[in-house]
Amino acid sequence: MISIIRMSLYNRISVFRAEQGISRRKLADAVGVNSQTIGYLERGDYKPSLELALKIARHFGVAVEMLFSFERFEPIATTFKRAGEGE
Amino acid sequence: MKPRRRSILSMLDDTVRWTGMPARVADQMSDDPSVDRKHRPMRWIPIWPIAFSCALFILSVTWPPALHGVSPGAVIGVFVALMGSVGGMVPGIHMSGPLGKPSLEDDEREAALRKNSFLICLGILAGLNCLGQPILMILSHLQNWQIVHSASVAASALTLNATLLGCLPTLYASWNLRPLPKE
Repeated sequence: MISIIRMSLYNRISVFRAEQGISRRKLADAVGVNSQTIGYLERGDYKPSLELALKIARHFGVAVEMLFSFERFEPIATTFKRAGEGE
Repeated sequence: MKPRRRSILSMLDDTVRWTGMPARVADQMSDDPSVDRKHRPMRWIPIWPIAFSCALFILSVTWPPALHGVSPGAVIGVFVALMGSVGGMVPGIHMSGPLGKPSLEDDEREAALRKNSFLICLGILAGLNCLGQPILMILSHLQNWQIVHSASVAASALTLNATLLGCLPTLYASWNLRPLPKE
């Protein structure tokens, strides 16, 4: 029996966008979509195609796994804390 | 120097410019528009033609028993008013499409939403027609409909189908998108 599991796709596009200080529209223009699509992507209302996901990752210069994940991303504060403990 | 009197046409031009539409169209048609070409969700407008078409259909099915004694002129007047309302509104809604803009500008999310909207609309239409046709056939047989009655039901059913085809995708797409917060 085939079971269909709808998995949630989490992303942190907004984090990368905020870090680089670019607007939704600039990112949208760079990857060739409507700026509303970036908004719906960030909110998790829309799952991107592989092509769009790769384009966004390439724009930020990171691997696609850094941007999209089936598991919830840990809060940035936790990442910083762990990085601080490691030093 | 005596000030030149302005012609009615130049005043009309000013009125049009005052609406802001010429500047907006020029901006949107330029290579670098100042704002995004966002779609305009129509959440409430498509409900009106659908309601009018439903009213027209119900009126035609229940007529003549429900309208017994009402003058034919009044019935024709109501029919014309309802069909006129539907005929005037549906093209405006349908031509804009589910996203309120031409499909040529669609990105992948918009194309998917447009496709889903039409698929859902066609599914609903198919279901309604599969159910409605046998019911109408049985009703016409049981109530011994006259040719005029059958023709009015057929015309209003056609109008209802056309209205649903024109308005349901727009309605679905408009309600499917929650507004985004401003940046």
